[in-house]
Amino acid sequence: MKLQETLRALFDANVEFVLIGGAAMQMQGSAHLTEDLDFCYARSSKNLERLALALAPHHPRLRGAPENLPFRFDAATIKQGLNFTLMTDLGWIDFLGEVAGLGGYEEVKKNSEVMAIFEMDCLVLSLEGLIRAKKAAGRSRDLEVIPELEGLLDLRKRSQK
Amino acid sequence: MTSDQRKRALQLVARPPRGSKLAKAKKYGVDLTLLVENLALTPTERAKKLSSGAKALQELRRAGERHRSKK
Repeated sequence: MKLQETLRALFDANVEFVLIGGAAMQMQGSAHLTEDLDFCYARSSKNLERLALALAPHHPRLRGAPENLPFRFDAATIKQGLNFTLMTDLGWIDFLGEVAGLGGYEEVKKNSEVMAIFEMDCLVLSLEGLIRAKKAAGRSRDLEVIPELEGLLDLRKRSQK
Repeated sequence: MTSDQRKRALQLVARPPRGSKLAKAKKYGVDLTLLVENLALTPTERAKKLSSGAKALQELRRAGERHRSKK
């Protein structure tokens, strides 16, 4: 995972995105480890073009798909799909058009906060948003992190009093 | 997180209030001291830690794959 380079690529291309998933958990203080990056992205035509442009130099291909499967991560492809699990030269990156329990980009954005990461102001899903999303996703791996996230939220509130 | 907040956080994780989410997390097995250490970091410090943790995970995974392929 090349976090700084990935954020820089998206940031410089003016992509509208929110960092979500395991990386957002860590950014909020969780001790959870992750190898991939998850983002929620805006579905406007302009943003789809920006996203495709930002990723193009990093050779995005579908993760888990046969090597010879034709795939182009361009605006038309992104428009036809919603969630993409990619392998890139920057590492494993997932782009989600919708997040369980929250909805599309605008809803996810409302549940996020700005963090200055490597001198870039990035939107990161809040702890409350992460808890909602994990509960809604409902898989074992989502549910097992809820005690930590809720404990973290409690700790943050109580220690800031 | 200020030094006073960190001190208070460390007191809280040592003795979480009964019935709190913090107590529930501790009972679940979460190492609460790691959370305090993470909260004391700046976002960029957390991002660097995230990157190095991911790199370590990747190296471990590859070492495991190499080991299994030799069998």
